[in-house]
Amino acid sequence: MAPTTPTLRPLACWKSLLRHSRLQKTATRSLTTYFQPKPIDAPPSTPPPAIKFKEPINDVHAMQIAVLDPTGARTTLFSKTNPEAAHVGDILLVRLKTGDPFAGVCINIRRRGVESGILLRNELTRVGVEMWFKIYSPNVEGIEVVQRKEKRARRARLTYMRKAKHDIGSVQNIVLAYQRSRGALRGSVASVASNEKKGGKRKVKGKGKR
Amino acid sequence: MIQLKTMLNCIDNSGAAIVECVANLKMKRHAKIGDRIIVVVQKQRNFGPESGPGASVSTSAANKVRRGDIRHAVVVRTKKKLQRPDGSVVKFEDNACVLINKAGEPIGTRLNGVVGTELRKMKWSKILSLAPMHL
Repeated sequence: MAPTTPTLRPLACWKSLLRHSRLQKTATRSLTTYFQPKPIDAPPSTPPPAIKFKEPINDVHAMQIAVLDPTGARTTLFSKTNPEAAHVGDILLVRLKTGDPFAGVCINIRRRGVESGILLRNELTRVGVEMWFKIYSPNVEGIEVVQRKEKRARRARLTYMRKAKHDIGSVQNIVLAYQRSRGALRGSVASVASNEKKGGKRKVKGKGKR
Repeated sequence: MIQLKTMLNCIDNSGAAIVECVANLKMKRHAKIGDRIIVVVQKQRNFGPESGPGASVSTSAANKVRRGDIRHAVVVRTKKKLQRPDGSVVKFEDNACVLINKAGEPIGTRLNGVVGTELRKMKWSKILSLAPMHL
């Protein structure tokens, strides 16, 4: 027994010491996490006043239109109050930033704020083609009225123009005449332009009979 | 929306007039413009007024395919509206296709009729260059 006890004693002493220090450490650790609420004497910070929108969707649309159509030309072209506005039945020409311009009879105007669109119908290489364009699209460079309908259409959507009986066929001749008159005269002699338009119409009718 | 049994117009001078879709390739949905399909020739283009101007030059050599042939084709026009990334939508009056061989080259030498611009995206530039107009 005698030789074993002296070797064990110092070890035990160390063990107890270490245990003690460990306990102290944990005690200090737990002390640091002790929560002490600060007294609230400062006034609570108020959030910034929210911008009041009466009709949020309409306001967002107005903001986007202001960005996409700064001059307001596109809006007036399709506004209901403007007597010179484009209506269904008119022949419209949409100039695009990428690709060729597309012309056709407007058979539908979908008014949905910034997402307003027009449906144009034309006949290319004897195949009827319909295209929707967003009027505020940045891809659309300009929309021109080539020819107005003589009588106001009594329908909002002229989908009957898809039927063979009412289909006016290709408007390419009218558009070509319009472009020629615009390019040559810049609107000086209107009578010549109207004559050309009539000629174009006759040609279209002849094509339809064939 | 070209799917099984859809009848399409064939707008090239390969000799087929009306073809029927029997399978869509590489997809589990209906075919759109620029997709490759398998068709059966149902009606041959014959000599007559419907072949149009210019076809009389090569009427004898025209019929490269016969009725009942199974061929590959590319859809170039659809009645179903197709929306473009910029929000515009294009819709044609009919469904039309162009016959191609297995390598992807068109069988006909000329096309009559407008085709969709989506063909460029799908790498069918040979068909686009043959077409008189694309939209």
